[in-house]
Amino acid sequence: MASDSEDEDFVPGASDDDDEDEFPEIDTRSDSDDADTPDEDEDASDASSSSETLHVGPVGKTIISDITGRPKTVYPEIEPDYDSDSSTEDDPNRVGNVPMHWYDDMPHIGYNMEGQKVFKAAKGDELDKFLATVEDPTSWTSAFDKSLQSDKPLTPEELDIIKRLQAGENPDATYDPYEPTVEWFTGKGKEEVMPLSAAPEPKRRWVPSKWEKKKVLKIIRAIREGRIVPKNPKTAASQPKVYDLWGTPSSNQPPPLPAPKVKLPTNAESYNPPAEYLPSAEEKKEFEEADREDREREFLPQKYGALRLVPAYKDFIYERFSRQLDLYLAPRVQRKKLNIDPNSLIPQLPSPSSLKPFPCYRASKLSHGDRRVRAISVSPDGLWVISADEQGRVLLWETLVGRPVRTWQFKSKVGALEWCPRKDVCYFVVALEEQLHFLTPPHQPASIASLTHALLSPSVAPESKAASPSPIKWKAPEAGVLADDEKPLLTIELPQSSGLVKQIAWHRRGDYFATLSGTESHTSVWIHQTSKRHSQAPFKKVKGSVQRVAFHPLKPHFFVATQRYVRIYDLSAQELIKTLMPGIRWISSLDIHPSGDHLIVGGYDRRLCWFDLDLSSKPYKVLRYHARAIRSIQFHPVYPLFASSSDDGTVQVFHSRVFTDLMSDPLIVPLKVLRGHRTKDGLGVLEVKWNPAHPWLLSAGADGTVAVWSS
Amino acid sequence: MSSQPVVFTTRTSYTIPSQTYMLPNTWKRFQLSQLINKVLALLQPVPFDFLVRGELLRGSIADWCTERGVGEEETVEIEYIEATIPPQRAATLPHDDWVASISCAQADRFVTAAYDGNVRIFSSSQELLHTIPAHSAPVLSAAYISSSVIASSSHDRTARLTRLDENGTADTFASLVLHTAPVASISANTDGSRLLTASWDGLLGVWDTNEPDADEVPADTLEEKDRAKKRRRVEDAKPQPKRKAPLEVLKGHTGRVSQSAFAPGSSTEAYSCSFDSTVRAWDVRTGVCTRTIALSEKPFTALALPSNGTVIASSTDRTLSLLDVRSPNAVPASGFGHPSLPTSLAAHPSDGVRVVSGAADGVVRIWDVRSTKAAVSSFDLWRKDEKKVLGVSWGAGIIGVAGEGGVEIWRLRDSGVAA
Repeated sequence: MASDSEDEDFVPGASDDDDEDEFPEIDTRSDSDDADTPDEDEDASDASSSSETLHVGPVGKTIISDITGRPKTVYPEIEPDYDSDSSTEDDPNRVGNVPMHWYDDMPHIGYNMEGQKVFKAAKGDELDKFLATVEDPTSWTSAFDKSLQSDKPLTPEELDIIKRLQAGENPDATYDPYEPTVEWFTGKGKEEVMPLSAAPEPKRRWVPSKWEKKKVLKIIRAIREGRIVPKNPKTAASQPKVYDLWGTPSSNQPPPLPAPKVKLPTNAESYNPPAEYLPSAEEKKEFEEADREDREREFLPQKYGALRLVPAYKDFIYERFSRQLDLYLAPRVQRKKLNIDPNSLIPQLPSPSSLKPFPCYRASKLSHGDRRVRAISVSPDGLWVISADEQGRVLLWETLVGRPVRTWQFKSKVGALEWCPRKDVCYFVVALEEQLHFLTPPHQPASIASLTHALLSPSVAPESKAASPSPIKWKAPEAGVLADDEKPLLTIELPQSSGLVKQIAWHRRGDYFATLSGTESHTSVWIHQTSKRHSQAPFKKVKGSVQRVAFHPLKPHFFVATQRYVRIYDLSAQELIKTLMPGIRWISSLDIHPSGDHLIVGGYDRRLCWFDLDLSSKPYKVLRYHARAIRSIQFHPVYPLFASSSDDGTVQVFHSRVFTDLMSDPLIVPLKVLRGHRTKDGLGVLEVKWNPAHPWLLSAGADGTVAVWSS
Repeated sequence: MSSQPVVFTTRTSYTIPSQTYMLPNTWKRFQLSQLINKVLALLQPVPFDFLVRGELLRGSIADWCTERGVGEEETVEIEYIEATIPPQRAATLPHDDWVASISCAQADRFVTAAYDGNVRIFSSSQELLHTIPAHSAPVLSAAYISSSVIASSSHDRTARLTRLDENGTADTFASLVLHTAPVASISANTDGSRLLTASWDGLLGVWDTNEPDADEVPADTLEEKDRAKKRRRVEDAKPQPKRKAPLEVLKGHTGRVSQSAFAPGSSTEAYSCSFDSTVRAWDVRTGVCTRTIALSEKPFTALALPSNGTVIASSTDRTLSLLDVRSPNAVPASGFGHPSLPTSLAAHPSDGVRVVSGAADGVVRIWDVRSTKAAVSSFDLWRKDEKKVLGVSWGAGIIGVAGEGGVEIWRLRDSGVAA
């Protein structure tokens, strides 16, 4: 084969030599040297095939000729073995390789070279066979010849092979398993010689090539004749249709950001992570229970004995998909990193310890049993506290000791109770459903007690000046009957079905007080005047349900908090002054700073808004620090403190300094979280009240306790 | 093992030669106490406690030195005091209601003032001798002023004097009328000739103990009515106590006065503490406030006079303040931190350094005024029940504790012989 291919290769080369002008056709459009390369390749292969001697066929042995006495190459005899043609064998039957049973019904078994039939040898019967085995000594060394359909004795060589196979030996008789080693590379004179030849440089290395000269001449001739045009003029059509991707001038826009890189795997991602990365049982449980979004990482580190035991990653598709989503949806905007120390953004607040005193521990606790305490009130001198629970029990107790000294039991739930702020008289108002009772604590000095009695149950009732009959009745106990501590000195009956009174708000002077009932009508707010026994509803119509009311401490203003807004009315001019928009969804509480210029509003949506009333109708500060709804807030009347209570069972105390200087903003500093109330049925601390004389706080909880927090 | 140079000082009668001792710094209270006992060669061993810079030594000397950063060559001055042995519960006097205060000043008698309006007298064998319905309102304090007369003060704005007869009858003979608010405390001077009342209205009244012949003060009209009604209802024919006027009214406090007391052994000098954060010294004869010590934001709840010239007062910021009322420039020592509101104080009757305080958490603590950091000893009465201690009193070898859970008497074995 090798010689065949060489022959074929040589054909074009020979033709080239013969006809120099027969130059292969040159592509006129190509000005590169590409067209020549196939020729050069051919040359190279020519050169290599001529220089190298390929030994594809049998290798000859060099022996000394007996005749000439010179070395000559002797090739081995070609043996007609498996891959050789066996047609030269002298087989009498020339039928070929066909199944012999085709001739089973014929008298002959095939044809010889001359085309004559070769007949079947006469086959003896079984007896002949037997006799043959007995008589003929060669019969057992004969075998059935298929092509001749007769037995044929085996040659001694074949018998030898069978004998060897039977003995388990190599069937080749010439094979010598114990041939002596032939020392090819060791021993004297057989040292390896470097392949670099010491032969002198061949001449062709420095003589200019005749072939190349011919080729160059041919090209020169072609150029002269104009067959080769160097450099075709370029036309528009011949221009390649490409555009410069990067050629456009860069815009002002920064280049698009590279996609965020996937985080590199860490030790935890290993199939055999260190033991400290392996999750404990509860971590595993927590991981499995958590939502996919809430998990800290996507996977759980796991240990495998070998890498081949690691199963396919089941989140692979999900992860790739989310990565694609991330890349697709990620905003490719470069954010300017703020180079600001985060600590400098935190306002410089004074430390709580420098703002003492404020309540910081529970000095005393009073239990109402299992009943929710809805309302507490502290006497104006700060000595006594009254608290009321949902089953109508009102307790009077001394602030620090906390032992009830007097109990009143009412038939219905107490909604609110409030001590009269006057100091020359001493009484408080307890609000039930549709009823307000005026009570006085025991053991009052004579001057105060007589004044109180003169005010609330005078011997001559003041004339009602109202022209039309009021729906509200002021009922005094019958004249002549001695006043008793147990019984109310005065009772106000609110109109029917006005519901439970939620709040009592006293005016600072202690003559007027406002009550707020639970119903959503314009008669839910009433303002009562104690000295004249006169009540009036200030509003003909109220938008929304009123949540909280309050008197301004200095001006004749009245604050009404509906679900969303706080409205300020001027009571003397009878007009709306301002509407505050705290942005709270449902207002729960409201209190006015004793200076009258600031207002705090708490909401069930956990927010607390601080308003500067001289400024806008939007809050100055919105604080959100409670975990649950705010229930009650109050400013301390003397100290710069306010407190808020929440359904999360905590009371939080804030320092709130208001400056008389108009330029400085109020300072609000969180001071203390007072914990101690249990939450019950989702209700925490329902009411907070300050002791007016000391920085002490009282809190009433849904767990039935009233706590006194002392500084 | 290294050693520490130590100098021992003491204010007790057990003095040892003043010299520097090189002591192994692993020594603790026990070894030091043994050393003192050895040096003194006492027949009866006396346990001592050791104060290092106003602090009781709890661990070893080395521990103290490393905590304070004191080097091994610095000489440490250690003061030793007689150790207070933890008191033992001696008796429980049952009460149905809260008890506001107890007085053990009279030997073998305990006077308790309860919120049910009764003053009760117990003997030392826990026997209820008298139940005096002196008041119709909670009684806040009660004390013997002489061997047969008891004074009590109450929420009903009066203090009353009750005489006890030998045959067991109690006669409330005088009602001290001045105050317009509950009377927080009443106390007598040593010979029982003068009384001092402190009230929530900010006034102090000075009274003598004579029985008035007639009402010195006209009755309130309303009270008269009340009484008339009550008489009609109860059919009580008992004569009402005579209304007595004060000798002197001490005005000056702007807040509720929580306690007042005569200086020990004096009938002219008195001290009072108030919720307006002041402690005042009074000259009772002239009714003049001789000294006002104002501290910032310490509403005082109780005071005690451990020795002449010093006042210790408890305040709602959960500390005690030790005030020197004699020297005008003395800085009040504060400390004695409680975990809860201290409600009452009492001084040791004789030794001048120890006070007992009762707190709202139901624990009674014994303090040495020289050791401001930690209590010398404490005992738990009602901490689990969350019951408050409202009054303490230190008699001879016993501490009476009154509060939400009744009255308990604790016996305190005084380690040493009284000095």
